[in-house]
Amino acid sequence: MSNTANKDYDVIIIGAGIGGLVCGCYLAKAGMKVLIVEQHHKPGGYCTSFKRNGFTFDAAAHSFGSYREGGNMRRVLDALDLDKRIEIKRYDPSDIIISPDYKITFWADTDRTVEELQQAFPEESESIRNFIRHLTTAKPIDFAVLRRKTFKDFLDRYFQNDRLKAIISIPILGNGALPPSLISAFTGSKIFTEFLLDGGYYAGECMQALPDALAERFKELGGTLKTSCLVKKIKVRDNEVEGVVLEKGNNVSAKYVVSNADARQTFFELLGSNVVEKDILHKIDGMVPSLSIFTLYLGIDRPPATLPKAGTNVWFLPNYNLEDLYLSAKNMTDDIEYFMMRFSPDKKTILAFANAPFRDRKFWYDKKLKFIDTFIRKIETTLVPGLSTRVVYKDAATPYTLYRYTLNYKGAAYGWATFPSQLFTPELKMTTPIKGLFLTGHWTTHTQGIPGVAYLGCDAAKLILKKERTYKK
Amino acid sequence: MTNGNIESEVISIISDISGFDPGEITPETSLPDDLEIDSIKAIELTVALEKRYKISIRDSDIPEINTVGQIIDLTKRLISHG
Repeated sequence: MSNTANKDYDVIIIGAGIGGLVCGCYLAKAGMKVLIVEQHHKPGGYCTSFKRNGFTFDAAAHSFGSYREGGNMRRVLDALDLDKRIEIKRYDPSDIIISPDYKITFWADTDRTVEELQQAFPEESESIRNFIRHLTTAKPIDFAVLRRKTFKDFLDRYFQNDRLKAIISIPILGNGALPPSLISAFTGSKIFTEFLLDGGYYAGECMQALPDALAERFKELGGTLKTSCLVKKIKVRDNEVEGVVLEKGNNVSAKYVVSNADARQTFFELLGSNVVEKDILHKIDGMVPSLSIFTLYLGIDRPPATLPKAGTNVWFLPNYNLEDLYLSAKNMTDDIEYFMMRFSPDKKTILAFANAPFRDRKFWYDKKLKFIDTFIRKIETTLVPGLSTRVVYKDAATPYTLYRYTLNYKGAAYGWATFPSQLFTPELKMTTPIKGLFLTGHWTTHTQGIPGVAYLGCDAAKLILKKERTYKK
Repeated sequence: MTNGNIESEVISIISDISGFDPGEITPETSLPDDLEIDSIKAIELTVALEKRYKISIRDSDIPEINTVGQIIDLTKRLISHG
């Protein structure tokens, strides 16, 4: 059903992160001729894995959520017939939060989690039940109430206890890189429901299994994936896309282009000021990206007995002032105060990460090793005594590493900072004023995380299929 | 701005966000069931209407929105209340 009259492809997708791959699979499945171009040598974006000294490490994304019946990931993987090809395991508990006074476990059984929270905060019993019931049963339209609110506003509607609010918010600070007073209520509540209440899923042997399976399926469906290839320009004529220019100057034409790349690159470099209105460029120039992360990778010879269960994310919260903790991460003090660590499902490695600001290559060249040792010491003194004696391999990805591998602006881990004022920025809608050009991925300001970008990839594909009048529900 | 204009404009905004052709959208159309308006699109839609008509949709109005007709009526009411 391809309708490529005089064009090389129906659709070209820039970026083989999860959003680009899902978008490509849906379009190819509908019979369109699709090319995905990726500058890195493997697909996955932030969802890749790598091998060093016999150890396999997940680079950034280390688990995913929203795989319950009706969840976004379940719907996408089912629709692409991947549910039976990738072995998806759920680690239970998905998350544990450790603070000076509490240890709160997030179980696969939400009722059990509710009971645990109620035992720790008996005076908030009813509010805890109401909060979780609202998040898990609200109609889609009900979330529109949150559009201008912060997550703090939302929590204040339910709870009095500041310690409880901090415990609920620490995984949101880690996974959204903003404290409750700054992150939008919508993003905060989605991270809570999709990453915590329905989190802990893992694909195959390592996270790379997920993009690899999507890439394989995409090729089976007739799609072409070109890796190690940078797109230099999106060609536009009379306000309509014509295709892209690749790094060696090759022109490839298409009726539609979907950019799953960093939005600044899309607008400033791939399109440029000849194509995009000055007001739009000005608006995007003034937008704030999310913080990046510093990720620690450790290979260990024998697991210390004090290690948490493999596959569980453990959050360390040193105090309950998340606003100050965020500022210390943003301003990059010499210490790491809060962090997440995880003993890998294969029980051979540890991944830990902390929010961190962007600094250039020179800065990290001097500081990386020192930061690695500070981080190991921190884990050792807070959660895993004796850790340093078991480490046989250590390395880290700095914010600059994230930029280098993905070209994401300032190594931003989560696209734009999800302040309520930046949520759903009209200039970054999936449909753009340029005919045939669509945006997808976390730089659209809509949502983030693996389920989020999978949803956006699928939705961008649906928009194109609706335009082509070939969309089937 | 006539009521007819508002109706066709709101339908055009809903079409833009949902991706469905304006011809498929009538006042009886259900936003979640027929047009797949989920939580993300529900926010996009309310934000787009508030911006276009310089109106403020109250929290208490939101749970009442289910069909295209209901959101057209709400928009008209909020515009006329200035």
